[in-house]
Amino acid sequence: MSMFSIGLSGLNTAQIALNTTSNNISNVYTPGYNRELAIVEQKNHGGVGVIAVQRQFDYFIASQLNGSTSTLAALDSYYSQVSQIDNLLADQEVGLAPLMQKFFASLQALAATPSDPAARQGVIGAANTLTAQFRSFDSYLRDMQDGINGQIGAEVAQINNRLEQLAELNREIVVAAASQGEAPNSLLDMRDQIVAELSEHLDVRVSIQDGLTYNIALNNGQPLVTGTRAFSLEAMASTADPSRLVVGYNDGAGNRVELNDKVIKGGGLGGLLQFRSETLDKVQNSIGLMAVSLAVGFNDQHQLGIDLNGDFGEPFFAIGSPKVFSATGNAGTAVISAAYDDIAGLTGADYDIRVVDAATGELAITRRDSGETFTGTLDGSGQLAFAGVELTVDDPALLADGDSFQLQPTRLAAAEMDNLIHDTGKIAAAGPGGASGDNRNALALQDLQNAKLVGGRASLNQSYASLVGDVGIRTNIVGVNRAAQAGFTAQLQVAQQSLSGVNLDEEAANLIRYQRYYQANAKTIEVASILLDTILGLRA
Amino acid sequence: MRISTLTMFDQSVSSLHRQQSAFLKVGQQIASGRRVLNPSDDPQAASLALGVSQSLAMTQQYMDARVSARNSLSQEESILNSISGAIASAKTLVVQAANGTLSDADRSSVATELRGILETVLGQANATDGNGRYLFGGYQDSSPPFERNASGAVYHGDTNNRELRIDSSRLMGVADNGVEIFQSVHSSAGYVARADTDNAGSVTFIGPSVIDAGDPDYGNNFEITFAVDGGGNISYSIDGGPDTTYQPGQPITFGGLSLSLEGVPADGDSIAVGPAGEMDPDLFATLQNIIDVLESPAQTASDKARLRNTLNTSMRELDNSLDNVLTVRASVGAKLNELDAVDGVGSNRILNYRQTLSDLVDLDLVEALSEYSLRQVGLQAAQKTFIGLSDLSLFKLI
Repeated sequence: MSMFSIGLSGLNTAQIALNTTSNNISNVYTPGYNRELAIVEQKNHGGVGVIAVQRQFDYFIASQLNGSTSTLAALDSYYSQVSQIDNLLADQEVGLAPLMQKFFASLQALAATPSDPAARQGVIGAANTLTAQFRSFDSYLRDMQDGINGQIGAEVAQINNRLEQLAELNREIVVAAASQGEAPNSLLDMRDQIVAELSEHLDVRVSIQDGLTYNIALNNGQPLVTGTRAFSLEAMASTADPSRLVVGYNDGAGNRVELNDKVIKGGGLGGLLQFRSETLDKVQNSIGLMAVSLAVGFNDQHQLGIDLNGDFGEPFFAIGSPKVFSATGNAGTAVISAAYDDIAGLTGADYDIRVVDAATGELAITRRDSGETFTGTLDGSGQLAFAGVELTVDDPALLADGDSFQLQPTRLAAAEMDNLIHDTGKIAAAGPGGASGDNRNALALQDLQNAKLVGGRASLNQSYASLVGDVGIRTNIVGVNRAAQAGFTAQLQVAQQSLSGVNLDEEAANLIRYQRYYQANAKTIEVASILLDTILGLRA
Repeated sequence: MRISTLTMFDQSVSSLHRQQSAFLKVGQQIASGRRVLNPSDDPQAASLALGVSQSLAMTQQYMDARVSARNSLSQEESILNSISGAIASAKTLVVQAANGTLSDADRSSVATELRGILETVLGQANATDGNGRYLFGGYQDSSPPFERNASGAVYHGDTNNRELRIDSSRLMGVADNGVEIFQSVHSSAGYVARADTDNAGSVTFIGPSVIDAGDPDYGNNFEITFAVDGGGNISYSIDGGPDTTYQPGQPITFGGLSLSLEGVPADGDSIAVGPAGEMDPDLFATLQNIIDVLESPAQTASDKARLRNTLNTSMRELDNSLDNVLTVRASVGAKLNELDAVDGVGSNRILNYRQTLSDLVDLDLVEALSEYSLRQVGLQAAQKTFIGLSDLSLFKLI
């Protein structure tokens, strides 16, 4: 082996090392880039060669980081949602509590001067404000539901997009490996980066096939990417409640399966679904429960009183009714409607109803938040009352075994809450037989402020305070978990970067080092040339 | 350990974020004066604060109720004062009218004065509050409770009294109806005797006075009826009982009472005797009776007897009425005192609730300001670190 060849191999190696270094420098801030290292080897008959430009990547650390990122993304999306409710309830001036207080204070003024038109107008004004605030809370929460529907669609689109990219990259990597012996680092980096991005939307399981192909699956094992084939998710209307979007899974055979919310864990999507079922539904139900309790309780008492025309009071508040949804796959065509029965029985929970025996009208009822199950049987007129609600089946003969329904007693009730009394004379401040100066019913209405109206257990204010406490605690816990998870993720990032990240000082040193290395090899060639000239000069 | 350039920048930046958000939070707390801005800042305090603010609002509500109760009761008190004054004047006039030396014309002028008093009292009975609601009609507050008629005034109101919740467990009556003020007597009022207006004789009475409250018939109503037989013998019977010979000047006794009779009754004349509360007490009727009798000529013995009897009965009725009005006024005064007492407790409670509320959610400013400076220093330090770090590069040296 000649000095020329040895010098040349050194020059080539220095060139590759310099390229590697400059590539590292130029990609210092590129997401998903893994630091590269030129691996050199001594040649058998002298000289040096680069056997590989190796990317510094540890699959174990990367998948740990992805898992952690996924959890953090879920907590992030949960936190950003729950903070909105936390902010809604934080309002000291126009929250529900002060408006309820103002409403009852207006009833006190009515009791003091029952025939004074100004006092009566005060009650109507306070009732208008209060009902408007209930509706505004409801519409805020409903906007959040709509927002979540939209975000589920966006998340699913992002996920599908990445699943397709992964399948394509799997193909390209296999092809490149077949033709070039090994796959280019850039393709491998890109694929790992996409898995990392996917983790921000959804927690997935990754398994490596033949050391070359990434197979991706949901936590329950349903495949999302196998080799070069991607399956897709879909945002679809829930079969139990068509107003909400859930995640559907398109299997290879063209069937779409509705995925239980619990299957989707982690990532922005998992956080959204968890927030919706754990907090948003509950808050909406609670606000609805308070609205129903106030409206029905107040109406009952108001109708016992006498207005200025000498008539019994009319209902004071309008309120929505319980909603029952028929599952889309029901074999029967019966329609169930529901109305409020004894409001002391209301729980604020939703219920799943399944027809056990259509012939006898036997229903299995499951309380969704606690899982408590009980059975009930429709009476002769197709009715069944439980938990403060009375169900009515339009035609029990149309029920089929196994049909299912979902009952949401208070979810949407606050939306329709309104003040029905606009004529000051129609406020029933008087007791039975009373005249204009009679304030007995006004006093009775005022007493509702402390009455256990909500589920027979709590006053309106207590119920609101417990809602605020619940949301506060939930927000607080999620915030703390999120901070802890962020710290944990940051540590993993440091570990991952410690291996795979570029350090500019190191690269600066390498740049100098390889420059000198290049110069030294060039010198080798120069010396070889001088030596050759010397030999050639001997002849002359 | 190998540290990547990205890590160095990331960590500096996230430290800047952390310091900034902590700084901002303290700033928000100071600007709002509240430690608990969102329920999540302290869920338990936020939830407790709602309970306390409800208690505070209700205490304030009761305080408002007391203000309006005090208004009503003070107004009632001043009206009752003027009514008791009017009754006292009426009594003086009755004493004056009883003077036997007055002529018909003199009596008529006394009657004119009494008519003025009656109108005054009627005006007070139909008094309204600032909103034009009648005070003494019970629940019937939209029309005058008393209407003038020939026998005094007729009451159109009811017997209810409006109440207000002036404290969590206290409903207080804030008005008294016309019946209680003008058509009632105090439970301790004694007996009243009233000669029948159609009496043709000249019998007059003094009394009745109680001689034996333990008598089994004590407390009943009695009717003394006189009979004159063909021989001119006068007898009387009580409630249709046995005839007893009438002896003028001799007191007769029945049911624990004693009644002195004078003069000569005609056949069929009668005198009713009963507990004051059962003799249809009515201040307006009493005044009207006096006016009527004073405006009638008192020439015959029977006229004079009617004059004496009416003034006699009316004097007792006026006494009873005055007692009654003073009793009602005393109860109003007691209620006003109670309002003051409850107000004192209420203001204390409001102070306590405010303090509790402040302890729960308000900011300790001193602590917050020192935190603010601390965070400021922290943020500045993080910024300096960043600048220093970004300045450190081998590339600067080669």
